[in-house]
Amino acid sequence: MQLIYKYKIMETQFSQKESLDLINQMISSAKNNLHKGMSNIFLLWGYLVAIISLLIFILLLTLPGDTRYFSYWLWIFMAAGAPIHWKLVSKIDQQQLVKTYIDKIMGFVWIAFSVSIIAVVAGMLLSTILVLPVFTDVDPSHEFLRWIQWTFITPFMLCLYGFALFVSGKAYQFKPLVIGGIVCWIATAFLIIAFHHPYLLMIQQIVLFICAVAGFVIPGHLLKQKENSHV
Amino acid sequence: MYNDLDPLLHSQLRLAIMSILIGIEEADFVFIREKTGASAGNLSVQLDKLMEAGYLEIRKSFKGKFPRTTCKITPQGIDAFENYVRALQEYIKPGQL
Repeated sequence: MQLIYKYKIMETQFSQKESLDLINQMISSAKNNLHKGMSNIFLLWGYLVAIISLLIFILLLTLPGDTRYFSYWLWIFMAAGAPIHWKLVSKIDQQQLVKTYIDKIMGFVWIAFSVSIIAVVAGMLLSTILVLPVFTDVDPSHEFLRWIQWTFITPFMLCLYGFALFVSGKAYQFKPLVIGGIVCWIATAFLIIAFHHPYLLMIQQIVLFICAVAGFVIPGHLLKQKENSHV
Repeated sequence: MYNDLDPLLHSQLRLAIMSILIGIEEADFVFIREKTGASAGNLSVQLDKLMEAGYLEIRKSFKGKFPRTTCKITPQGIDAFENYVRALQEYIKPGQL
């Protein structure tokens, strides 16, 4: 509901009750809401992760021998999301008329999430390229051993996804994000339980696909509906 | 009767501006205008008064090709607002409203 105060006589004295009513109405008029355009960011990353994980799942099933592990290179396409992401963010910034403390803190939560993922992926890459061939007697051509350590990334990432989604959902009071976060946490526990399963790699990709849909794609579409009907 | 109330805040529009900004990080001029229903000219004058008193920080920038004015409450503004609310509470006794 839009609260409009009409000020006909601006400098007149007004009662204490009117003062308090005005304060209450104005404070509640700037409540925390997800901003228009945020749904596009969820949809971008949701679809990107969902499509890539599904493709890797299919390649792991169909490619012969160790060559199937090369399918993980498809994750490099995640980088394509970055420029689109910044474009969407700058569009939101331009349209956004108000910035709440929640917006500021949630911005930091997602920055912390991204930095955590980048730190782990960078560490894994450097380990695979520099440390593994130099300091161990593992034959670098043995692709499975080169890639096995990457299997730690998926549950770790899903745990962080769960954290960021749950906090965002609670902060903005948007339940689908909270549910997405819980799905990611359950998936994390499931993947750690299944760690020694012979089909772990395939299981990971399909779980990742489910989490991307539950945590990003579905909330993204629901948010878009909300944006279109509200704003 | 209202001697203890900060005269700068005891005006409907200025109090409305401060009440909006107290709960948020920053707000665009257009947002404040929409929420208060004030005219652009009047709002601009009142914002200047609050800025001169050190209650607000006003930043001018560009949104694409268009100028943009962003307002943010200062620590001094927060103190003044809190004092105003405290003074208001002094006047209001149970059963008076």
